[in-house]
Amino acid sequence: MNVAPIPGVPVVDAVDLRREYGTGSACVVALADATCRIFSGQQIALMGPSGSGKSTLVHLLAGIDTPTSGTVTWPALANEPHLRPGPIGVVFQAPSLLPPLTVVENVALPLLLGGASGAEGTAAAREALALLELDTLADKLPEELSGGQAQRVAIARVLAGNPKLILADEPTGQLDHETATRVIDVLIAATDASGAALLINTHDPVIAARFSVHWSMHDGALITTSEQATTRC
Amino acid sequence: MLIFAWLRGLVRRRPGRLLATSAGVAIAVGLLASIGTFLSSSKAVMTQRASSSVPVDWQVETQPGADPGSVLQTVRTFPGISNATPVEFARTPGFTLTTGDTTQTTGAGVVLGIASDYAVRFPGVLRTLAGSRTGVVLAQQTAANLRATVGDTVTIARAGLPDASVRIDGIVDLPTADSLFQKVGAPSSAQLQAPPDNVLLLPDTVWHRLFDELSRSRPDLVTTQVHAAVTRALPADPSAAFGSVAAQGRNLELKLAGTGLVGNNLGAELDKARSDSLYAQILFLFLGIPGAVLAGVLTSTVAASGADRRRRDQALLRARGATLRQLVRLGLAEAVIVTVVGSAVGIGLAAIIGARTFGSATFGTRAATAVWWAAASVAAGLLVAVLAIARPAWRDARQLTVTAARRTVGRDHDPRWMRWCADLILLAGAAVVFWFTGRGGYKLVLAVEGVPTISVNYWAFLGPALAWLGGGLLFYRLAVTTLRVGRRPLGSVLRPFTSALSSTIAASMSRQRSLLGRGLTLVALSVVFAGSTSVFNSTYQVQAEVDAVLSNGAMVSVVESPGHDVHPSFADQLDHIPGVKSVTWVQHRYAYVGSDLQDLYGVDPATIVKATKLRDSYFQGGTASQLMARLAAQPDAALVSLETVKDFQLTPGDTLKLRLQDGNTKQFRPVTFTYAGVVSEFPSAPSDSFIVANAAYVAQATGSDTVGSFLIDTAHNDSSAVTRRVERVVGTTATVNDVASKRRKIGTSLTSVELSGLTRVELGFALVLAAAASGLVLWLGLAERKRTFAIAAALGATPRQLSGFIWSESVFVTAGGLIIGVFSGWVLTQMLVKVLTGVFDPPPSGLSIPWGYLALVGGIVLAGVLTAVALITRAARRPTTEMLRDL
Repeated sequence: MNVAPIPGVPVVDAVDLRREYGTGSACVVALADATCRIFSGQQIALMGPSGSGKSTLVHLLAGIDTPTSGTVTWPALANEPHLRPGPIGVVFQAPSLLPPLTVVENVALPLLLGGASGAEGTAAAREALALLELDTLADKLPEELSGGQAQRVAIARVLAGNPKLILADEPTGQLDHETATRVIDVLIAATDASGAALLINTHDPVIAARFSVHWSMHDGALITTSEQATTRC
Repeated sequence: MLIFAWLRGLVRRRPGRLLATSAGVAIAVGLLASIGTFLSSSKAVMTQRASSSVPVDWQVETQPGADPGSVLQTVRTFPGISNATPVEFARTPGFTLTTGDTTQTTGAGVVLGIASDYAVRFPGVLRTLAGSRTGVVLAQQTAANLRATVGDTVTIARAGLPDASVRIDGIVDLPTADSLFQKVGAPSSAQLQAPPDNVLLLPDTVWHRLFDELSRSRPDLVTTQVHAAVTRALPADPSAAFGSVAAQGRNLELKLAGTGLVGNNLGAELDKARSDSLYAQILFLFLGIPGAVLAGVLTSTVAASGADRRRRDQALLRARGATLRQLVRLGLAEAVIVTVVGSAVGIGLAAIIGARTFGSATFGTRAATAVWWAAASVAAGLLVAVLAIARPAWRDARQLTVTAARRTVGRDHDPRWMRWCADLILLAGAAVVFWFTGRGGYKLVLAVEGVPTISVNYWAFLGPALAWLGGGLLFYRLAVTTLRVGRRPLGSVLRPFTSALSSTIAASMSRQRSLLGRGLTLVALSVVFAGSTSVFNSTYQVQAEVDAVLSNGAMVSVVESPGHDVHPSFADQLDHIPGVKSVTWVQHRYAYVGSDLQDLYGVDPATIVKATKLRDSYFQGGTASQLMARLAAQPDAALVSLETVKDFQLTPGDTLKLRLQDGNTKQFRPVTFTYAGVVSEFPSAPSDSFIVANAAYVAQATGSDTVGSFLIDTAHNDSSAVTRRVERVVGTTATVNDVASKRRKIGTSLTSVELSGLTRVELGFALVLAAAASGLVLWLGLAERKRTFAIAAALGATPRQLSGFIWSESVFVTAGGLIIGVFSGWVLTQMLVKVLTGVFDPPPSGLSIPWGYLALVGGIVLAGVLTAVALITRAARRPTTEMLRDL
């Protein structure tokens, strides 16, 4: 589903987001009352140590997890709440390609899940792979790829859906520096070209330095210098 | 230390994997322990049943010229003898009884002299029908011949001596007349065809008074036996018990030094029982081993479903410097823990089954035997666990690189056995062995002439064993070939249910063909096992009942004493007895076919089909009803044995001239019949050659319509109760036999191996295997890919789309397994029934299908699949937090 972003309207708008795991004395607050907004074209680096709640925030903003309290909406995306090709694309930290599917089938999968025909999906997938110079890997299985190749394919899978919001959860966490740089290059170039918003979650200051907007998290609290993101603890 | 840390981690982090593998081991151990202990128990029961059916263990016959007192003394002092008493035998030209104006005289007979307490010492030899069982007693058949009753005076003819008279105190039946009047020391082929018709038993004091003089003048007419009972501390196994008793008998003969010969009745009964015990062993091998092997395969499959994760764990350990030896030790430690848990559950399960089904946790056998089987089963369980867990760990560690070990799919190459067509070769081998076994008449128990031991023809097992093995491999080949070659058609089949995803799902299934092929094979094998076992057992039970009815003639049979004239009209009296549904009569005559004397049965074609069950398999040349109709339409028609047809080169319509005894003159006279068909089995008929003809025609041709026996159908009424009522009507002139007692009596015949216990155990386990093979394996296979489903969900897959992935695989595995399993089960059952022909007497005319049980198996498979799919679909719809954090 392709939704044209509305100028001045946030792609995602989160208010007082809170996420707790467990109950009673075992209750862990992963995210404490975070409020933030992301607009089209923004490129944001979300930094923080491991366990600070970065992934939790990404999952909530992507709509694949539900907050314990607070609200998250996607005003510029006609409030399409869940992941679908088009509105939101997520790049995961760990290898996230489906093992029994080839590279091209993996890239086409979100489009097919969204209702595209087999031919449309394959064509879009090949286009996205070509964009990232991965077309020679189209018929390989995920287990035949290196870590960097697999992550680039995962980005191609996101881009194939032409998303308006890309959420990348430590996409370079398991990559060497050179490969990580190439992956970030690809993400920035793709969002520059499409005008999509990009939130990248990282604890690498070198990577974060390439982004104009910086948010940070500590112990579940979202801290930012930007006006668009606030937190109240 | 590493081992304990690893095991602790497994228990905490992978409890499902440990429990599922332990469940597979528990099934294998439980099944083996149950069936093995049941087998030992069955053998002990056979020994006990065989020995308890013998009233006189040994009949030691004094040889001519030997001193009977010395023989008696030797027997009494022989170790293991618990009881010994002399029994005198004197042959007489006949007995006479005059009642009123008529005098009845019998043919030659035997007069026995027994101690006053003989009946107490050897219960089971005499059965009192009227009067006293001590004093002068007359055998029932003799009483019928003389029309004698208690109080009558019978005259005994004595060769070369004046006749002697005695007053009858009682009338008795001699249930073991065959062994009582055996030719001691003679081989079975030289034994009397029938015991003497006329028998009188005297107290030993009276016998000595009447026959001591005869023993001096005609010692050839008098013999002395010592009847002995031995202590019954026999080995549980009939073969061992036979060996022990036979050796004891030979040892006694050695001590008697030619003065006496031992008629070893106990040995003869145990000899029959050991053949049965070998059949029990055969059934154990045929029906039990596949189940245990299947449980082993199940365990391997369960373990293999977690193999990818195990390989990844192993790869991590290797990357951190673990050696091959350490990896194998970890695999062995996991196998041991799985064996301990699985064995504890399996042995407990077996004990519960034993207690619930047989009333004892040891299945009625000795504790030591049960412990032995438990230990053997645990060893088998350990072997299964090592093969399922430690061996793959060792193989992976040796053959895979760390990177390769992390792979979960791989570009499959056909395994070597597929390229070598091992499955097809095995199946061809099974067909060849089956054909060869068939040529030899499917003889499974070999009793070589002149050799005292009998053995199992284990070659016959090769056919079904190869069929199981080849079939299992072929199922796998069919599954993976379908998924590899038929990817496009599979996509087309899935399209209506999964829309645009159909090609992707088909591609995913195709690349996971090894996993899906294993699942399908296991479902198919469990269906084959449940199907073939249940159909075989059902057919066996039906045939056992048919055998009992065939041996008895009908539900209740009334066998008239020879010489006692009873006419067909008596059937009307029997017909009015409450519980009797229908009655027919059968004439029993003897007829010379050339120089061969055969039994001839004259039947009433109209009523015999109502009073007893005639199966088509008893006849050739027409169905049972067709041939009975032919006998009715053509009164001179006769059905003869196949041997007679071959000997005399008969073709239907040929004239057959037999010689039958005339009812009045008692002389044999020629009677013309027309050959109409072949009969191989008939109610109450012997197993060798005989003739079946129209009773009315036989009566007309011989001038006598005397009935040999009445056959009674009791429908669903209690046959034992009807038997008691019939006994009151017929009195002492006939013997009334009930099918229930016949069922117990054929406890030592080939169809005697009591399958009902084995059936309950087997069928119960077959259900568990079917449920585990479908539900558990599917669930584990899918559960191992929860991460894959979580990714799909995170990419936006709707619950319906996720269900499409899960259902496509599940339906392929289940439906494919069921279809292949049902077809192969039918083929294997046919093979089993053919190979095990020896345990069926008579052979079945068709398979008996237990529809209820099969429906239950189908239901359990479906329930297992539905449960597994429902659980996985539910979990996949909403990935857990842990799963999301893992992405």
